[in-house]
Amino acid sequence: MIIRKLGLIGVGCAVFAFAGCGEIDQKAKVEKVYAGKKDTRAFEDARFGGDRRKWETTLAERSKAQNEYLRTELRTEAK
Amino acid sequence: MARMKFICDAERCIECNGCATACKNEHEVPWGVNRRRLITVNDGKPGERSISVACMHCSDAPCMAVCPVDCFYKTEEGVVLHDKDLCIGCGYCFYACPFGAPQFPQAGAFGLRGKMDKCTFCAGGPEENHSKAEFTKYGRNRIAEGKLPACAEMCSTKALLAGDGAVIESIYKTRVQRRGKGDEIWGWAMAYKRADAPAAGVKS
Repeated sequence: MIIRKLGLIGVGCAVFAFAGCGEIDQKAKVEKVYAGKKDTRAFEDARFGGDRRKWETTLAERSKAQNEYLRTELRTEAK
Repeated sequence: MARMKFICDAERCIECNGCATACKNEHEVPWGVNRRRLITVNDGKPGERSISVACMHCSDAPCMAVCPVDCFYKTEEGVVLHDKDLCIGCGYCFYACPFGAPQFPQAGAFGLRGKMDKCTFCAGGPEENHSKAEFTKYGRNRIAEGKLPACAEMCSTKALLAGDGAVIESIYKTRVQRRGKGDEIWGWAMAYKRADAPAAGVKS
């Protein structure tokens, strides 16, 4: 009987001792939502008239121009 | 859809500060605020390397996560922008940012912080495109003009590349293949998580 009581007390103590060892979920419960003003999109500019494809092509062409290997090779081919 | 990114090629950067100057000039950034700056390691010693640093427009931006007034938003092209009308200048974003991108102008007495200012990828902010309000608060909107950020376009050695991630990745890849080194310096795979890339620091 005493051993059973000691066992129960032991289990109780162990539960109490390990109670703080669990990992608390730290993920934000609420998704962050932008609270500011709405922005106009880049391709809605008068130059592109809302044509997203045209804007993306213009930007891609400009990005490719950063590759001077391409530029020099094109120049060599032209000669 | 384009996903806008910067990359600075440490093998090419000559620390000329042309990018920082171009940025300052283009957006008329006030004294004490540096949207872009140069970081040099091993300065004056063999193996010296410089990179140009500004907001990296993170895919999972920590500044957005910590902002108590939720003034950050991300455009469809992945550019992280913010609404200065909402910003309270608390500085949380500065502590969260691994690149030290958020800048705070000194406003008033006792070193009081003004509203946060940072690189906009030359994409302006939540005001009408090319309006006076947009220019005053956020600077010029070159992206809406079909142009790339001034810093990258001004870079004399083309160390700083800007644009669609896929395009600048191919440019950088060509360089690495031609010169036979450079992939390990920046850690592209770690930064941009290209699916077919080897792990950072591992040469294929």
